[in-house]
Amino acid sequence: MHTLLDVLASGVHDAKNQLFVAESLITAAETQYGVELGEARYAIEAAATRLSRTLAAYTLLREDAQPAITPVIVADLCAEVGLDQKKHLAAAGIELSQSCSVVDEWPLDRDLVTDMLNNAIQNAGRHARSRVHLDARLDAGWLVFSVEDDGPGFATLPPACGTGLTVAHRLAFLHRRQERDGSLHLSNGASLGGARFELRLP
Amino acid sequence: MSQYAKKRFLVIDDQPQARDALRTIAQTIGAFAVEFATNYQDAIYRIRNNVPDIILCDYVLGEGRSGQQLLEELRRFNLLADESIFMMVTGEQSYEQVVSAVELVPDDYIIKPFSPDKLVLRLDRIMAKKEFFKEYYQEKRKKEYAAALAILEAQRNSEAGRPYRFEILRQRAEVLLNSGDSEGAEQAYRGILENYEFPWARAGVARSLHRQNKLSEARSEIDRVVASTPHFFDAADLKANICMAQGEHAEAQQILDDVAKKTPRNYQRKRLLAEAATLNGDTETACAIMADVVANDTMPGAVTPEDRLALARSQVDANDLISAEKSLVGLKESEMQNLDLDAQASYAALLAISSPGRGKPRFAGLRPAMMSAQLATNSRLDILRSALALGDHELADHQAKALLEGEEAKRSFGAMRKQYALHGREQDFRNIQKRVALKRIHHDEAPKPGA
Repeated sequence: MHTLLDVLASGVHDAKNQLFVAESLITAAETQYGVELGEARYAIEAAATRLSRTLAAYTLLREDAQPAITPVIVADLCAEVGLDQKKHLAAAGIELSQSCSVVDEWPLDRDLVTDMLNNAIQNAGRHARSRVHLDARLDAGWLVFSVEDDGPGFATLPPACGTGLTVAHRLAFLHRRQERDGSLHLSNGASLGGARFELRLP
Repeated sequence: MSQYAKKRFLVIDDQPQARDALRTIAQTIGAFAVEFATNYQDAIYRIRNNVPDIILCDYVLGEGRSGQQLLEELRRFNLLADESIFMMVTGEQSYEQVVSAVELVPDDYIIKPFSPDKLVLRLDRIMAKKEFFKEYYQEKRKKEYAAALAILEAQRNSEAGRPYRFEILRQRAEVLLNSGDSEGAEQAYRGILENYEFPWARAGVARSLHRQNKLSEARSEIDRVVASTPHFFDAADLKANICMAQGEHAEAQQILDDVAKKTPRNYQRKRLLAEAATLNGDTETACAIMADVVANDTMPGAVTPEDRLALARSQVDANDLISAEKSLVGLKESEMQNLDLDAQASYAALLAISSPGRGKPRFAGLRPAMMSAQLATNSRLDILRSALALGDHELADHQAKALLEGEEAKRSFGAMRKQYALHGREQDFRNIQKRVALKRIHHDEAPKPGA
């Protein structure tokens, strides 16, 4: 029963519960004193996300990893990513714009794809001059998410592969449907002139 | 004013700090009426008394219970209308694995920590979805299956239905299954699988095949599901049921024993385990499990006369006639009056063995009905045992013949043979078997009417 995964999961679970209590206390303080503490809340959520991501990385890199696929309304997913990142980027003077032309549901791992897009936008935000754009569209039977920025682009292509990217590649690949695998593509010179992150899901 | 101001919230969490946190969030989005439930029982009690509009339930409820079990029990007892919102709150990503596999899902789940804004976004969407399915829910509740299907069919092709395509297909398959159209349900689930290999849809195929009594096909489908999603416990239950129908009682018991260990407070599963143990001849386990169910399933109305009959059955199996008699006479007069014929027959049959003075006259009084009525497999087995014990060959042979001719022949075969052997009548049982087999061959060879 007590495998390494159980121990890690239980620790992450407890820590996230504590962070949730902290965030609710901040929320209560905002209401009580009429102040806006969005960045404090963002920091707490970012810490929780970081914990989740570590656990997800550990789980996904195991051989028997399985994504949790449910039908997801793509526009809702984009809206949620926007909610997570928009204010924080605005505080750094960067505008996050979005476009989503997908009306239907799509089978995907909602939490992991959301996290991957959040991560991509955070990365783009670090290098962008003033703009980051999130797009979702259908392309010949594939669902394509892209994140573009107007920064200098990746210094090398393919970029040096850190843990985050390794996990992202793996996650894309785990989305398998009718003999087709998902994939991740990184490039430069996108419509905003900077880096482009593209996730293609079958 | 926020649209959530008028909604009644119920927050279910065993941790005081987390409860306060959830209340704070609910109040921030405008809620006035926020009730608490501190544990599983308390939650059921509150929901039964006054169904909330929105339930925020933590996945971990303590005492070996989970929010998922609560959700399943609420649905089982029909305590949760489709219009109510059930939102699972979880710190564990592993819950996502559960949601992606199982048939019974909450309206949504949200991972801690989350902001009030995020909760509003999620709730708004669920409200929009409930609004979209509003008329369908009404027909579904009235069991107007044709009308429910007609609504889904229209929605399936509508522009407004595009974001809910899978939900519409899923609901449609469920309605087909509930309405008794198991061929239609099978096709509907297979259609969903063409899009993606969802474990719940594969389980739906197995369930539909089981209803059609296509047992080996059902078995190979459910084997796939159980192998790929070990945390999908309902699939294990279904597999055990299919095993029992195939007469593979030892395997059924093994499967249920494994899952029951992981869900120690799921009494519905324990009932199933006791049934498998009974069929498997493991009377000790059956006795212990049914005693546990009758003593500890504290949900009001959960322990039924059928449970007491199952307990008495296992006690008769174990030859503990004193306990069996006690279990039977412990039934209340009011419960006795409401027993259906199956339960009455089982009661009389079990009492005739455990307390002949009281039981035999009752058993004799029901004999005409036992010789003519359609009865459930368990009741027929009970009657068969008592009839053999009392030397009533005609009554015993009638039950054996009916069981062998019925769809659950494999399920009851081992138990029948054992009883006949106990009374030195193996040869008679083999003769009944032969006659039934011959009759089946003649029936299959006979020209079909109109052919």
